[in-house]
Amino acid sequence: MPPEIVQWLQNMSLATAIRESAIVFPVILSLHLTGMGLFGGMILMTDLRLLGIALTKHPVSDIVNGLRPWKHLGLTLTAGCGILLLWSKAAIYYPNPYLRLKLVIFALIIIHAVVFRGVYRHVADLDHTKAIPRRAKMAAVLSMVLWISVLSAGRWIGYWEPKGGPAAADRVVLQLDADASR
Amino acid sequence: MALFLAFDASNNPLNTNAWAFPVCEILHILGFAVAIGTITMVDLRLLGIGLKKETAADLLKGTFAWTLGGLALVLITGPLIFSSDPTMYLRNASFRFKLTMLVLAIIFNYTIHRWVALKKAQGGLAVLTGVVSLALWVSVIFGGIFIAFV
Repeated sequence: MPPEIVQWLQNMSLATAIRESAIVFPVILSLHLTGMGLFGGMILMTDLRLLGIALTKHPVSDIVNGLRPWKHLGLTLTAGCGILLLWSKAAIYYPNPYLRLKLVIFALIIIHAVVFRGVYRHVADLDHTKAIPRRAKMAAVLSMVLWISVLSAGRWIGYWEPKGGPAAADRVVLQLDADASR
Repeated sequence: MALFLAFDASNNPLNTNAWAFPVCEILHILGFAVAIGTITMVDLRLLGIGLKKETAADLLKGTFAWTLGGLALVLITGPLIFSSDPTMYLRNASFRFKLTMLVLAIIFNYTIHRWVALKKAQGGLAVLTGVVSLALWVSVIFGGIFIAFV
C-alpha cells in the first residue's frame, strides 16, 4: 500500500476525530482490551479443554460449542476496535514492523482455521473418545501459540520508534491529543 | 506511601532493560484475559445467556484454578509495572480508580459471586450478580488503559 493511501486514510474526518479525541481513543483501546478479556480467556479455555487440562468434567462439545458465540463476540469487539485504532493512525502505524508481524500471524491464524476446521466442526466426536486425538491437541497448542504471538506483537507495536531519532510519531500524536484536550 | 515515593526507579531493570517492561505488560494482559475470561463464563451462566448445559456451580469449580492462576499472574506483573514509576502511578487518578475497582472486584468475586454461583441461585439475584461482576471487571480494564491518558 503506497504511503499516500495510508496518509489519506488517516486524514479522513472520523479517523482524525478518533485520534485527536482525548476520550474516544482510550475508550476504543479499552474496548479492544475488554474484547481480549472475553475472547482471549475463552479461546484459552477452549484450547485447554481440548488438551484435557481444564474443565475435564464437562463434555468437550459443551465447552467448545458453548463458548463459540461468546468468542465470536469478543473477536468482533477486539477486531472492530483494532481496525478503528489502526485506521485512526494509519500513516503512523504503516511502517511499524510489529504491525506487519501481527498481520503475518493473523494470516497464519487463518491457515490454522482452515487446516484444523475438521477438529472444531466435529467436536462432538471427541465427547466419546477415550483420549483426545493428537490432531486436536496439536490444533489447541498451535492456537495458543498463535494468539499469544498476536498479543505480543500487538503490544510491541507501541514500543517501536521510527529511524531518525527518539521522537516517535506515536508520541507526537499523543502530544497533539494532549494539546487538543487542554 | 513515603516508602514508594522515596523509591529510586531509575536503576529498576524494568527501566533499563528494553524487554522487561513490554514482557510484563504482555503477561499482565494474558493474566487478565484468563482471569476475566473465566469469570465471564460464570457470569454468562448466571445471566442465563451462555453455557446453559452446565450449572454456574460446575463452571465456577471448573474454572477456579485458572481464574486464580490468571489473577496470580496479574498480581505479580502489576506491582512490577508499578515499580517502574511509583510516583506517577500514585498520583494518577485512573490508577487509583483501577486499584479501588480491582480490590472490590476481587472481594466480590470470592464472596458474593462465589456464594451465588455455588448456591445455584437463579433469577434476579443471579442476574444482578452477573451484571455487577462484569461491570466491576470492565471498569478495572478501563481504569488500567486510562492511566496512560489522564
